[in-house]
Amino acid sequence: MRALLFVIILVFGGSVTAAAATDLPIGFLALEDDPRYDADMAYARIQLRPTGDAAEGAAMALADMKIVTDAVGLTPQLSIVRAPDSDGLAAAAQEMVAAGTNFIVADLPAAELAALSESLTGQPVTLMNATAQDNALRGMCAENMLHVAASDRMLADALTQYLRLRNWTRILMLTGKDERDPIFAAAFRESAERLRLTIVAEREFDLSTNPELRDQNNIQLLTAGTSEYDVVFIADAVGEFGRYVEYQTSLPRPVIGNAGLTPLEWHWSLERYGAPQVNSRFESASDGGRRMGWQDWSAWTATRAVITAYAKSGSTEYADVLAYLTSDRLRLDGSKGQTQSFRPWDHQMRQPILLTTDNAIIGVAPFEGFLHETNTLDTLGSDEREFVCD
Amino acid sequence: MTRLLKLAVTSVLALVVLALPAFAQGTGMIFVSNEKSHEIVVLSPEHEIIKRIETSQRPRDMHFNADRTLLFVACGDDDVIDVIDMATLEVVDSIPTGPSPEVFAFSPDESLIYVSNEENSTLEVLERETGITVADIPTGAEPEGVILTPDGSVAYVTSEVADMIHVVDTSANVVTKNILVGTRPRRFIMAPDESEIWVSAELSSEIYVIDMETNEVSDVLEFLPPGFRPEDVTPVGMAITADGSKVLISLGRANHIAVVDRVSRETLSYVLVGSRAWSVALNRDETIAIVANGLSDDITVVDMESMRPVESIPVGRVPHTVLIDD
Repeated sequence: MRALLFVIILVFGGSVTAAAATDLPIGFLALEDDPRYDADMAYARIQLRPTGDAAEGAAMALADMKIVTDAVGLTPQLSIVRAPDSDGLAAAAQEMVAAGTNFIVADLPAAELAALSESLTGQPVTLMNATAQDNALRGMCAENMLHVAASDRMLADALTQYLRLRNWTRILMLTGKDERDPIFAAAFRESAERLRLTIVAEREFDLSTNPELRDQNNIQLLTAGTSEYDVVFIADAVGEFGRYVEYQTSLPRPVIGNAGLTPLEWHWSLERYGAPQVNSRFESASDGGRRMGWQDWSAWTATRAVITAYAKSGSTEYADVLAYLTSDRLRLDGSKGQTQSFRPWDHQMRQPILLTTDNAIIGVAPFEGFLHETNTLDTLGSDEREFVCD
Repeated sequence: MTRLLKLAVTSVLALVVLALPAFAQGTGMIFVSNEKSHEIVVLSPEHEIIKRIETSQRPRDMHFNADRTLLFVACGDDDVIDVIDMATLEVVDSIPTGPSPEVFAFSPDESLIYVSNEENSTLEVLERETGITVADIPTGAEPEGVILTPDGSVAYVTSEVADMIHVVDTSANVVTKNILVGTRPRRFIMAPDESEIWVSAELSSEIYVIDMETNEVSDVLEFLPPGFRPEDVTPVGMAITADGSKVLISLGRANHIAVVDRVSRETLSYVLVGSRAWSVALNRDETIAIVANGLSDDITVVDMESMRPVESIPVGRVPHTVLIDD
């Protein structure tokens, strides 16, 4: 089945320099009606999740890099395709590959991305995972995926480093029933173990008001009857429950995880490292002047990584560009103060993680004092020695 | 300020300047721009804070005019270059620029200002007297460092996002060449014999040396003070001795400056300074260097003979640039 609802081709051609311009097709694949961007989850227009289009981040990367691509004689063309299901995504990707596309930025949930990666095995194309944080995708060890989105484990490690720093060592864990919730909770549990934090209790919450489930849906009951804890961790991808937990806990304790202090790849309130300029360029370019979310940043970074590898490798051969992209020569700036590159063992991009509230950055992990023998960014996520393919 | 008023102020100022031609030269005073406390801190030659000059929002790069009667400071959040009278130490004028001016340079006769506008990615050319924009030259995103050849014929400007140096022909105000360098290129220094410029690439921890004859990269230098990792080394500000023999490079998060023999490229010394060493200035007889430390809100005075830090002085929030009037 080939049901591609719409196809947009953005061409940033412009002035052609002395060098003969070479077309550089870059794909962007997303799911129609991706539930992760569903605005209708909560009533009363409470925004629980980003509703914008991460493709705007990819388009900004082309605009940002235009002066470079002009100079080296490349004409990037971003082809944005949305498909309703895995079959449609596979067909769209095949079409892109047939047209000479070697890199596709994927704004897809984990299941669809895993299926797409398998369907493209052996073909000359790399999927740049922009928005799927699931550890299991890294564990697949697929040759054709590079992960720009931080892994769940990196996000969890950013939180546990901060807990260690503050000496908040006793944690009450609350986990929801969305399929992402136990996955993020498991990553947090592993991370807490590594830093020898104590999980005093793990409880599942329920979104209903069913009196029979009072111990799961009443926040005061849910956070009482345990031994003393310093923080409440919540895994709640939907966010509808999490937004009520702060200020209702049985003990007066801070909330971290998907509510309260939240680890993210990007947040509009970052003030350093050139981040304000990135944010204001995005606000000028995006539909409705919305703020740059982590998904937009991730699509921007993935696309810039690809274009940078073409420009700096000095080659348009897929093998050369891929070799540059995955080498330590990449040194990609993400406006977070440290250079980013891909880890050879799990194809995960190294990056700092921001600990955010609604309107502030409380800290940037890795925190001072968390050391590593080669690169402190590798204190976030599965390190080479502990990583195994599934 | 209205244009008329501004002209009046400028005229009065010109008279004052004529009347007191030598007043502000060689005072030994030290000027530090504080990005987040919106002020220029003035220190006496004995390193005592004697004044805080309130400026427009987010003052960053600073330059004296040639006779050092005026101090110009780019104020990024108010889109102006403030003009400070060195005799009174007050802001006497504000020249409007494009959005978010960061670093600037004068033409040799000081009639033109070349300023990088970080927000709209242009190198703007302004007439100093009238404030009129003569040209807006598109650059890569987030332009920063600007330097002109002594004859004013060529300007170089960095783009932090494009990892490029743009070479600008100032007679036509067009980019004639783009030079691809390391990640997040920041600032320049030029050898006095005009043989080469050095560019700091903050995030790839490198200094690129560009041959001014060919405008090609001729050397890439890396630095590593003892006890630090390569990724801690984030070079930004630089200074060069008058004879061109030594270059001082601030190494950012590695909390050191490197003192480098320019010709042999050998590192002579690493000097420990404050947190995130950001910019560095030499006094005229090159006996001391002063380093602004962005994350410890202080400046460090380095004795150039012993290559040792001798004093650290708290100045205010996020010091950006240091100038010495001696």
